[in-house]
Amino acid sequence: MSRACNHAVAYVYQYIDEEMTWSRRLRIRWHLNRCGGCADAFTFEQRVKRMIKDRCQDDPPEELFDRLRTLIREEAAGDPGAP
Amino acid sequence: MADQANFEKDAIQYAPQLYSAALRMTRNPADAEDVVQETYLKAYRAYDSFQEGTNLKAWLYRILTNTFINRYRKQQRRPSEVELGELQDLYLFRRLGEESGATRSAEEDVLEHFVDEDVKAAMESLPEHFLLPVYYADVEGFSYKEIAEVMDIPIGTVMSRLHRGRKALQQKLWKLAEERGLTGPHA
Repeated sequence: MSRACNHAVAYVYQYIDEEMTWSRRLRIRWHLNRCGGCADAFTFEQRVKRMIKDRCQDDPPEELFDRLRTLIREEAAGDPGAP
Repeated sequence: MADQANFEKDAIQYAPQLYSAALRMTRNPADAEDVVQETYLKAYRAYDSFQEGTNLKAWLYRILTNTFINRYRKQQRRPSEVELGELQDLYLFRRLGEESGATRSAEEDVLEHFVDEDVKAAMESLPEHFLLPVYYADVEGFSYKEIAEVMDIPIGTVMSRLHRGRKALQQKLWKLAEERGLTGPHA
């Protein structure tokens, strides 16, 4: 691991989250084009991020919408300030 | 200022996402639904203070986060930050590389073996100050600025918790992979 690798790795999450200035992004991309190890690591982190999103989805109970609508309408009806 | 009469139309579409987030936080469908209901009730009552045209989703998440923290934090048993310790960067990538001398494709194969229950369990094992930023960034796709607003913490704190939280999540995934025999040269 060179100093350039350490620098790149320190910014891996800002890079994959697209939360950095374009000039820093360019500098890191320049390094990734020259360093296969870091390029693999960055690709891996990106895949982990995508996997977490894909594997964390839940369907709410079907009645949830109805219950929320009822809750809001009851609150609206009970509110003396409501029209 | 937003009109309370429009609340249902504007806000109800976010219910499935809020429910998923609440389920990760509470780890229990009944509690998750309670948190979502309380969130919608509070949001409805406060809707005339919501600035129309600003980020409604983030505003709802902020109420959800506060509701969860006020109601459930004390009951939760999650490991402390100290227990988790300081982990190396690129935790999972490095561990997979060390164990198997893996090629890039072997490392990626391990990811294919994780099922929903693995990732959800790993998420739910995190202390909440790690779980929330990681969930908001990875699953919800919130920006750091939005996470800072939702959690009411500075952006620098979002970044450091995200960094450490992701490593802690990867450590959990690594342990799961080990238990399941997904690692090592013959995996």
